Amino acid sequence: MKLKLALAILLSTTTLVASAGPIEDQIKTRQSAYSFMGWNSAKIKAQVADKPETYNKEQVITAANVIAAIANSGLGSLYGPGTDQGIGWKKTALKPEFFEKQDEAKKLATDFNREANEFAKVAATGSVTEIKDKFGKLSESCKSCHQSFRIREQH
Amino acid sequence: MPTIKIKVWDLPLRAFHWLLVFTVLAAYITAELGGNLTDWHGRIGALALGLLVFRVTWGFVGSTHARFVSFFPTPRKLLTYLKGHWTANGHNPLGALSVLALLGVLTALIGTGLFANDDIGFQGPLFNLASKSLSDRLTAWHEFSFNVLLILIGLHLAAIAFYFFLKKTNLVKPMITGSKEVPKGLASQTTGGGKARFVIATTIAAIVVWLIFGGIVAEQLSPAHNIPANAAIPSW
Repeated sequence: MKLKLALAILLSTTTLVASAGPIEDQIKTRQSAYSFMGWNSAKIKAQVADKPETYNKEQVITAANVIAAIANSGLGSLYGPGTDQGIGWKKTALKPEFFEKQDEAKKLATDFNREANEFAKVAATGSVTEIKDKFGKLSESCKSCHQSFRIREQH
Repeated sequence: MPTIKIKVWDLPLRAFHWLLVFTVLAAYITAELGGNLTDWHGRIGALALGLLVFRVTWGFVGSTHARFVSFFPTPRKLLTYLKGHWTANGHNPLGALSVLALLGVLTALIGTGLFANDDIGFQGPLFNLASKSLSDRLTAWHEFSFNVLLILIGLHLAAIAFYFFLKKTNLVKPMITGSKEVPKGLASQTTGGGKARFVIATTIAAIVVWLIFGGIVAEQLSPAHNIPANAAIPSW
């Protein structure tokens, strides 16, 4: 019985670890997610803020939906223990205190998800000005997490 | 000792100084708050670039105490000042070092900012001339030079306080009014500057800002420039 329980615990922990993958894979996947979101947010920024004359409603909606989908995809599971050290596409910029301040991390992540979802709604129904304002809110939520948990690039 | 009022700082120089104070404050606030204010950070950067180019030009064509040649801190001047024998008007040699250091750091700060990105939605006007990784490094240098600027501003304020409390000299007032009371024997003439030269310096500054922030430089030099702008975007 005890052996069975031990086996079950062992199995379930290995499955958990396996689902998130080795450290390098977790880092690689999340770095990819953020670069891809960056590609989409750059399109939105260009079309609603920098060159409003190029605004293309469908493209902005598509980009907003991509960001929301990535935000809702459960990025949190890519932040397994030990992933503050390691190299994905490049060295991770995650600060170790991410693991000590889990409440703050959760709050920032939840705020970001909410903003991403609300932004997708505004992108579908709002005017360019409304989209631009909401995009500002979304990027604030990006920034607040960068400030708390991302190591600044070294010069 | 009888004193006499002399002109030290010309109006464009004073306007530059206080606009720069505003610019540094506004740039700091907009950078910290982020969001859509990041775009304002970029616009304030354009103003800062214009002010810097103006000041450097004014360093050649401005009035006496604005000109680099008149206050350039040679070792001999520094020695005289440190021995306590300095009596001339305008920037003293140590202050001149501080002015040059401030202008140097501002050049680094503004120069790197032109290539910077914030990994969210902001890109400096010359971002396309650099790779993303180079831009990231220049962004780090941008932040680093701001910290150096803060240190220099701290020294600047400390020197003002030192002069005010210990040497009983108010350095802020002349930067507002442009004139200063000096002992009669130390009176000196301030010449040069003038409206025409001010227009020239301002025009040079405006052209530089327009070339860089209007996208003209990046458009001409960018590697992406070879791709036709109207290349069809695949619908898939």
